[in-house]
Amino acid sequence: MRKRPLFPCTGILLALLFPVAVLAQNPETPAMEQVIQPELDRRPVRIPRIDTEDYEIGGYVGILSVEDFGANPVYGGRLVYHVNEDYFVEALFGKSTVSDQALCDLGLCLFPSREEDLTYYAMSVGFNLFPGEIFPSRKRAMTSMVYAVAGVGNSSFIDENLFTLNLGIGIRILPVDWLAVHFTIRDYLFESDILGSQEIKNNFELTFGASVYF
Amino acid sequence: MPSPLRWTVALLITGIIATAPARGEDADLRVQVVESYIDLHTGPGRGYPVAQVVERGEWVDIILRRTDWFQVRTQRGREGWVTRADIENMVTETGDRIRLRDVLYEDYRSRRFEAGFAGGLLEGDTFMMARAGYRLNENLTGEFTIGQASGDFSSSLLYYVAVLSEPFPEWRVSPFFSLGLGRFENTPKATLVGAIKTESNMANVGIGARAYLTRRFVVRGDYRRHVVFVDEDRINEYNEVSLGFSIFFY
Repeated sequence: MRKRPLFPCTGILLALLFPVAVLAQNPETPAMEQVIQPELDRRPVRIPRIDTEDYEIGGYVGILSVEDFGANPVYGGRLVYHVNEDYFVEALFGKSTVSDQALCDLGLCLFPSREEDLTYYAMSVGFNLFPGEIFPSRKRAMTSMVYAVAGVGNSSFIDENLFTLNLGIGIRILPVDWLAVHFTIRDYLFESDILGSQEIKNNFELTFGASVYF
Repeated sequence: MPSPLRWTVALLITGIIATAPARGEDADLRVQVVESYIDLHTGPGRGYPVAQVVERGEWVDIILRRTDWFQVRTQRGREGWVTRADIENMVTETGDRIRLRDVLYEDYRSRRFEAGFAGGLLEGDTFMMARAGYRLNENLTGEFTIGQASGDFSSSLLYYVAVLSEPFPEWRVSPFFSLGLGRFENTPKATLVGAIKTESNMANVGIGARAYLTRRFVVRGDYRRHVVFVDEDRINEYNEVSLGFSIFFY
């Protein structure tokens, strides 16, 4: 404890008891010195630990139609980071098959076997467009969000790796706070010369998925 | 089953296991409204309607945070979402204002782990890569990169480990140099006849710069020269220019 702050207190006490003594006080006593020293314990700063859930992880199933090679089941996984309420970033990986059966029936067999694996991945940016609510019953409401996504990635089948753009629109519905159900429509665009001339192929995908926030 | 898929499934399961039981174990943070009232939205966004209000003096429990929105539960058990600004105007049971701490530039300076994606050109072909790095000290980072280039005649897969040296880590835009070693696989297109798949060792040198953007985001630009040892008397060289984003953890 410092000694000096006590001095003015003593001074005031003396001044009350012996008014004359005030005159005898040293005029150089600092006037701005704090008179009362509050005995305060600094409360520890409380940084609240709030469960922050900005990530979303999940999977999906659906149908992928690869131009010229039929429509086949697709499934995949998806990881999302919500940057703020308006936009998010997304990484996804999917797997499907392509078939040249239709072409083969015309005598133009291209693949080593009629059905070949197709894998793709994509990194996209998503924009939350239309917030809303869905009312499945009189007493229940679930929040929803219509979003758009656009991104880049790669599609690969029969030793072809194709740079792929994707554009899509989807809706997520939250039946409970930690779970989201997704319906999406996406177009995966790549340039391919597998049937001769180099041209842009549109590959539409319809999926249904679920994800959890963490 | 290819390994990326297995990873995805594993991550998914881990995610579910890690998330589900953790809920509700921590005591919720209880705060009091000191403004005249606050709005409770039905969802975490300004577009969701205000379904009810909480008046001055009432207490609410903060359940969770999603971006800059907070889900709260009122004393009567109603739930809703509150903006960050409103949360910062409330007080705790000890009478303190809530101080929310965001990821800051200081955290970026003390980052440990970093992972991200980048895109660019590898000798004119579109090139995409994913990378993850661990910061050994202020100046040195060890990094693993896997990239894929798709060209008109062939596609290449390359993966390498690299050491990045940052001589001026305190600069906002900080330059770095890198040295890497790895493998390079080239697969000709299925439509090409007679071309064969090659696998070779590879080394690379690079320069670049990174800058802190916001929150957990870092932006980074690279120029790199890859030297591929195809066989004893053939060396191929490729130039890479790329721009990428990373998320860091500290």
